[in-house]
Amino acid sequence: MGAAINNTAILRRTPFLPSVRTLTIGIAAILFVMLCALPTIYMFVVSFINADGSFSFANYRLLLTESRQRELLLTSIQLGTGTAVLATAIGVPLGMLLARADLPAKRFLRVALIVPLVLPSYMLALAWIYVGGSAGLAAQLIGRDLLSRWTYSLTGAILVLGLSLYPLSMLATEAAARRVEASLEEAALLVAGPRRTMWSITLPLIAPSIAGAALLTFVLALSEFSVPAVLRVGVFTTEVFTAFAALYDFGAATARATPMLALALIAGVVVNLVVGDRWLTSLRSTRTGLPLPLGSWRAFAIAGSAIVLAFAVVLPLVVLALEAGRLSRITTALSASLQAITNSLLLAVIGATLILVLGLALGYGRGRARTRLKELVDLGFIIVFAVPSTVVGVGLIGLWNRSGWPGHVYSSAAIIVIAYLARFVPVAALILAASVRQIPKSFEESAELSGASWLRVFFRIVLPQMKTGLAAAWVVAFIFAFGELGATVLVAPPGESTLPVRVYTLIANTRSSEVAALALMQALVILIPLALLGTLASNGGKR
Amino acid sequence: MIRGTNHLWLLTLLSLALILAACGGRQQNANVSSEAPGEMTIYVSTDRVFSEPILKAYEQKTGVKVNAVYDTEETKSTGLANRLLAEKNNSQADVFWSNEPVRTLVLKKRGVLAPYKSPAANGIPAAFKDAEGYWTGFSARMRVLVYNTKLVKPEEAPQSVFDLADPKWKGQVAIADPRFGTMSFHSAALYAELGDQRADEFFRKLKANDVHVVAANSVVLDMVARGEAKIGLTDTDDVNVALEDKQPVAMIFPDRNGLGVPIMPNMVSLIAGAPHAEAAKKLIDYLLSPDVERLLAQSEAVQVPLHEGVEPPKNIPAINSFKPMTLDYGKAADRVEDVTRRLQSILGL
Repeated sequence: MGAAINNTAILRRTPFLPSVRTLTIGIAAILFVMLCALPTIYMFVVSFINADGSFSFANYRLLLTESRQRELLLTSIQLGTGTAVLATAIGVPLGMLLARADLPAKRFLRVALIVPLVLPSYMLALAWIYVGGSAGLAAQLIGRDLLSRWTYSLTGAILVLGLSLYPLSMLATEAAARRVEASLEEAALLVAGPRRTMWSITLPLIAPSIAGAALLTFVLALSEFSVPAVLRVGVFTTEVFTAFAALYDFGAATARATPMLALALIAGVVVNLVVGDRWLTSLRSTRTGLPLPLGSWRAFAIAGSAIVLAFAVVLPLVVLALEAGRLSRITTALSASLQAITNSLLLAVIGATLILVLGLALGYGRGRARTRLKELVDLGFIIVFAVPSTVVGVGLIGLWNRSGWPGHVYSSAAIIVIAYLARFVPVAALILAASVRQIPKSFEESAELSGASWLRVFFRIVLPQMKTGLAAAWVVAFIFAFGELGATVLVAPPGESTLPVRVYTLIANTRSSEVAALALMQALVILIPLALLGTLASNGGKR
Repeated sequence: MIRGTNHLWLLTLLSLALILAACGGRQQNANVSSEAPGEMTIYVSTDRVFSEPILKAYEQKTGVKVNAVYDTEETKSTGLANRLLAEKNNSQADVFWSNEPVRTLVLKKRGVLAPYKSPAANGIPAAFKDAEGYWTGFSARMRVLVYNTKLVKPEEAPQSVFDLADPKWKGQVAIADPRFGTMSFHSAALYAELGDQRADEFFRKLKANDVHVVAANSVVLDMVARGEAKIGLTDTDDVNVALEDKQPVAMIFPDRNGLGVPIMPNMVSLIAGAPHAEAAKKLIDYLLSPDVERLLAQSEAVQVPLHEGVEPPKNIPAINSFKPMTLDYGKAADRVEDVTRRLQSILGL
């Protein structure tokens, strides 16, 4: 009884004092603006300032008048859409199989199929050149060069990116398919066959998740630099790079990123219109969905998974191993990089954890938002995520490299963590917002009605139900942070080096065998902790 | 159970926050103590494999801690020049050691550098030194032609960059993207020497000849070594790495009787507002010494010494044994932005 009175007291509290909940979300929003949005905003301000300090549209006028911009736009759209379509086409069937079908060695299969997402993308591009270049393995085997025309092309870039990003779609599909309310499918099966049930009930129910993953893939492909650069495809990212690296023009470079951000925005709006507020969210079920009866298709499904595994995982690794030649090259690269490896792992763990905390507060705020503004918040996350890493890096220098305490932060390793936050909080926030929305609000309301403070409800009711979402967000943030290069290379303090920066500064003018060894070493360093985490998680699950 | 996981979660968070704090604290302390003359910062775009041992040797010799930021001017990042430009108002670096002239001259124009005429540079010819002292050249590389010895006979091999436009090499020539790195220097130098009209014409012919424009000089070399292209235009150190690796390639100094061979010295500069200017000058003196030139000549970078009397590297002739391209580096560098735009449209980049 006392608790109930206490609760009404809370409800009647004066509106001038913000609640702990509002305060938490508010602080998170302020931190998001300061850490993630401000570097980009700073760069956009710069892009409107002339060399003499006056206001000018010159950088944007160029954008409208240059004929090459149209070509870049077309190529970028093709690259983004092509990659999203290919990744979805590979990822959705695999996700369905993992969720529903009876396949041999499924746990191993899942882990193995995630590997391409973890590998540095330049490594996959490199492997494809070793295979499909005009003197690559394929040409040596056939005796004629049939592939190089395809390797160095938009098609090649789509293929490489599709094979590297399909795990996103696969994981989203699997997670969604596991949560579909089984009773809906059972009801459908009473009047229709399994195939029709799949097409008319199951797939529409998981479509929002698939669309959300496709959107993320689109944005990732759009902001990818190394694959188009290595395969010589001109897109917005390479254009932004040129403005920085060949012209040293920060304003022009930032202006050149706007069409890219606009594309990401449009893609976000389109997905939002198609699936509404449900994207990146899914239904909740107490039982997992119905098993997928494969019947005579079982062999086909196994063969299909094996083919994806062969092309996306085994082939690149084997090709790089062949190119590296000797195991000693890899162990040498490993032992010389120990300092950078420790730095990278430590910074990525700290970064991923802070990203998780900030993303959680933001995701909770977004997930529980009641205003129409919530869709704008999603779009804001997507745009911030799409900003090219170099723009973020230069923006961070402009903001933090000044005398006083910002300068102390800038000259310490903390600036690397800030760069991770600036780039990857939006992804974590999107994942966690989806996770929050799966928890019925009534749980929180009933707990609060029985007198629990919001903090208590949050830690006792909300968080325990988000375990999967939290784990997913942390792992994604860790993978992204560990591999971050574009911004880190600009802000890493002297003497501090992360593994990607070290590998990257070593691979210029080095024998291709050593480049391959370094790439493999980087892959091993990220795969081992993730495999350990995976084992720990599955053991924990069993317990 | 739930309570347990929560505690664990909070504990992890707390410990990580502590690590971060400790980490930041340690760095800040390092920063404070770096006011002492025992520490300094250098930004290096010369390949780390070559520059790191030299800086380590200096640390051992003097006890000064040299914090280095390495990068390359290849097409994978935007390079140290952008970082130096962005940091201009609150300089972090003391010295910039560049592997080619263009970036240094851009930085000079943008007011990032400070003049310093090192006494150690007395033995270096005036052509490789800035009259105002904003930069000093040392250990040079050359732009060279490379060909695949399995596919091209020595007597057939081209002797001039202009031969690359010959239809007989159609589809067989590789160059690095002329907007970046040493190829941007080479193209700017050609424009400065030939004038716009003749240079435009040359690159148009190259385009008509289906030249492969690839990401970097090392890729050019790789393509020629693999036989994906018969001929390429690249740097001496790239070819040397392949020669040491027993790859089927050979190099030719282009235009050694005509226009001259393009020479690219390393350049070292003092940064304006350097936090440790005195330590910086000492390091610059060291980098410009014959000892360092000897080390760079003996390394796989095979860089040609500019001091007289220092022995040249084994695969490369001495600097006075061929005609260098007579070049005003400042003039060539002034052309880079314009040339970048021209070549972007001519080559369809």
